[in-house]
Amino acid sequence: MIDVQHLTKTYGTFKAVDDFSFRVEPGEVVGLIGPNGAGKTSTLRCIVGIQAPSAGTITIGGHDIVKAPVDAKRRLAFMADEPQLFDYLTVMEHLRLTARLYHVRDVESRAKVLIEELTLTGKEQALPAELSRGMKQKVAIACGLLHDPDALLFDEPLTGLDPLGIRHMKETIVSRGRAGATVIVSSHLLHLVEEICTRIVIIDHGVKIADGTLEELKARPELAAAGSSLEQIFLTATAREP
Amino acid sequence: MVGTFFYLTACTMKNRLRRRLQRLREPRYLIGLVVGMLYMYFVVFRRGGRPRPDTAGLSMIARIAGPMQFLGSLFLLAIAAAAWVWPGAGQPIAFSRAEVQFFFQAPVTRRALIHFKLLRSQVAILFGSAIATVFLRPGSLASGWTFMAGLWILLMVVRLHLMGVALSRSSLAAHGTSGVARQWLPLTIVLGAIAVLASAVAGDWPALSSLTDSGDVFKELQRLGVTGAAGVVLWPFRALVRLPLSGSAAEFWSALPAALALLALNYVWVLRSDAAFEEASAAHAEKRATARAAPRAVVRSTASTPFTLAAEGPPETAILWKNLILVGRYVSLRTLLRLLPLIIVFGVIAQGGGRGGMASALAAMCLPLAAFTVLLGPQMMRNDLRQDLANLALLKTWPVRGAALIRGEVLAPTVVVSVVAWLFILLGAILAPRAASPDGTAAVLMANRASLAIAAAILAPAIILSQTVVQNALAVLFPAWVPAGPSRPRGIDAMGQRLLMLAGILLTLAASLLPGALIAGALAFVVYWITGATLIILPALIVAIVVAGECWLAIEGLGRVLDRTDVSAIDAAE
Repeated sequence: MIDVQHLTKTYGTFKAVDDFSFRVEPGEVVGLIGPNGAGKTSTLRCIVGIQAPSAGTITIGGHDIVKAPVDAKRRLAFMADEPQLFDYLTVMEHLRLTARLYHVRDVESRAKVLIEELTLTGKEQALPAELSRGMKQKVAIACGLLHDPDALLFDEPLTGLDPLGIRHMKETIVSRGRAGATVIVSSHLLHLVEEICTRIVIIDHGVKIADGTLEELKARPELAAAGSSLEQIFLTATAREP
Repeated sequence: MVGTFFYLTACTMKNRLRRRLQRLREPRYLIGLVVGMLYMYFVVFRRGGRPRPDTAGLSMIARIAGPMQFLGSLFLLAIAAAAWVWPGAGQPIAFSRAEVQFFFQAPVTRRALIHFKLLRSQVAILFGSAIATVFLRPGSLASGWTFMAGLWILLMVVRLHLMGVALSRSSLAAHGTSGVARQWLPLTIVLGAIAVLASAVAGDWPALSSLTDSGDVFKELQRLGVTGAAGVVLWPFRALVRLPLSGSAAEFWSALPAALALLALNYVWVLRSDAAFEEASAAHAEKRATARAAPRAVVRSTASTPFTLAAEGPPETAILWKNLILVGRYVSLRTLLRLLPLIIVFGVIAQGGGRGGMASALAAMCLPLAAFTVLLGPQMMRNDLRQDLANLALLKTWPVRGAALIRGEVLAPTVVVSVVAWLFILLGAILAPRAASPDGTAAVLMANRASLAIAAAILAPAIILSQTVVQNALAVLFPAWVPAGPSRPRGIDAMGQRLLMLAGILLTLAASLLPGALIAGALAFVVYWITGATLIILPALIVAIVVAGECWLAIEGLGRVLDRTDVSAIDAAE
C-alpha cells in the first residue's frame, strides 16, 4: 500500500507539489494524470526516494521512505519514462545486479520467465547500445519486475514501445494489479489510463483536483457537464476547456 | 554569407559571454574565476611570483631562429605530407549539425559555404595566436604583434591547405581515375618534395655518417635544408615559419610577401576545387554530434565478468562487480597498444643508461611510476560515484544504504589502481637487488628492499583509498562541482574550480595521513630508542589501518548525506 500524506515539494521558491495526499491500496491501479508541469513526476520521484519531500510523509507498506528507505525501496519498483541502464552491462548482467541488490535468489529462472514475457529472448548478452529504445524500456521493466515488488510505479510506460510491446505492457500492469500489487501509472495517454486504471487522480499546479473512479468523476457536479470520456473530464477539471 | 558570419559570430560570442556572466552568480564559479585569474596572473605574467626576465619567451626564440626555422619547416612539411598520405586524414570540412541544418538547405552557393567556414575558423586561429603570444611573453609590443600576425598567417595557410586536401581527397574518391588526373599536381608536389629531401640526405650520407657530435649532425642537416634542391623544396615551409620568428619589424615585412603569396595560392586552390563536400560534411557532422552526445563506446560486449556474482551477499560486492565490468569493457587491446610507444621509449632509455643495464634502469623507473599511480591513479580512474553520478536517480531507487553504496563505489578504483601500483612495486623489488654489488651487504640490502617494498605495498592501497574517498566525497557533498555528463565546463572559472578541487584533495590527503603517521612515527622512534632497530613494515601497517578507519568513518558520514541528497540538486554538466 502506498500512502502519501500532505506531500509538498519545492525547488527554490517554486512549489511543484503542494499538500498532496492520496492512498493506493493493494490491487488498485491508479492513474496519475495532469498537464505538463503539474507535479506528477516530482510526486513519483518523491515516492520512490529519488527526491526528498520538502514536507509530508510517504509510506510504502508501512515503511517511511525517508526514515526507513531500504525497507521501503525493497518493496518498490519504479519504471521511469527514460530507461536508465548502465552502458557497460549486458541485459543479463543488469538482471543479475538487480537480483543481488533486491536479494532475489532464483535469478536465472525468474530472468528466463521475464525475458520471454517481455520478448527479450536472444538479447541476453546485448549491451544497451545494441538495443532500441523500446527494448531498453523492456529491460528496465524486467529489472523492475524481477523482485516481484508490492508497489509498482510507471512513468509514461508506453513511450517507445511497438504495438505488441504496448499490448504486453498493458497486460503486465493489469495482471500485477490483479495479483495484489499496488500500481501507479502516470501518463498523458488518457485512453490508456481509462482502459487499465481502477482509479484516477488528477493533479494540476501541484494540487490534487480530483480523485476517484471514472464513474465517480463523471458523477461529480462540477464535472457532470464534461461528458463521459476521461479526456473531457480532464480538460474540464484542469480548466483547459472553456 | 559574410554578413551571416558576422551575425552568427556576434550572437555566439554575446550569448556565451552572457552565460558565463550569469553562472558567476553561483559562488562556485565566482570563486573559481578569482582562483583561475590569480593562477593565470602568477603563471603567465609573473612566472610564480618572479619578475619577468628579459631573456625568456620570444627573445629566446629569436636567438635560436635558425634551428627553429629548419625544424618548423620540416614540421609543416610533415603536416602537409600526412594530410595527403595518412589514411584517416583529409576528413570532410567540419560543419556543425546546426550549420548543416540551416545552410545546406538555404539558397547559398558552395563557394559561400567555403568562405563561411574560412571566416569561422579565423576566430579560433586569432584566439590561438593571441594566447600563444601571451604565453611566450614578448619582450616588446613590436615583437608581440609580429609574432601574433605571423602565427595567424601561418595557421591560416595550414588551415587552407588542409581544407584543400580534404576537398581534393573527396574529389579523388568521387571521380576515381579521372579525379587523380585532375588532382595530380599537389599530390605530385608533396611526393616529389619527400623524394628530393630523401635523396639530399642520401647524397650527403658519407659526410653525415662521419660526424660524431649530434650538434654537428644537426648543423649539417640545417645546411642541407637551405641549399640545393632540398632548399628549394623546403622554401615554402621556411617562408611561412620565418614570419612568426622574425626578429624585427623589418624582417617581418620582408618575409610577408612570400607568405601572403602562399596564402593566396592555397586560397585559389580551395576555391577552384570542384569537390562536392556537402554530403560528406553532413554525415561527418551527424557522426560528431552522436559521438559527443553518447557515452564512450563500450569496447567489448562479450568480455568476461571479473568474477561470478553470487545471488547472496553484501551490496558492496555487487557494485564492485559492476564497476570492474566497466573497466573491462572500456579497456581494449588498442588502448594498451597506445601505451606501447611510451614503454618502448622508456625501455630504450633504460637500456642505454646506468651501469646495471636494463634491469637496474627498469627498477629505477618503477619507483616514480608507482608514485605516479598512487597519487594520480585515483584522479584518473573514475569508475565510481563520479561516473555513476549521471545514474544517481537509478541508484537512489536501490534498497541500499548510502554508506554501503559509497563503499561499493570506492572499491573498484581502489582495487584497480592498487593492483597496478603493486605491480610496479613488485617489479622494482625484483629488479632492484640485481643492481646491488655482490659484496657482504647484499643480503641486508635485499632484506631492506623487501621490507620497503612490503611497506609500500601496504601503504599504497590506503593512500589510494583515501584519495578515492575524497573524490567521491566531492561528488556527494558538491555534486555540482563534479561533471556528470560527457562534456566539461570551460573557461577560467572552471579552471579555477578544478585547481581548488585539486588543492582540496591534496590537503585532505595530507590531513588523513597525519594521525597515522604521528602514531607510527612515535612507535618507530620509541622502538629505535630502546632497541636501535628501524621499523619499516609495522609503521606502514599502522598508517594504513588508521587511514582505513578514517575512510570508514568518512564513508558512514557521507552515506547519511547521500541518503538525504536530492537528485534535483545536481545540475547536468554543460
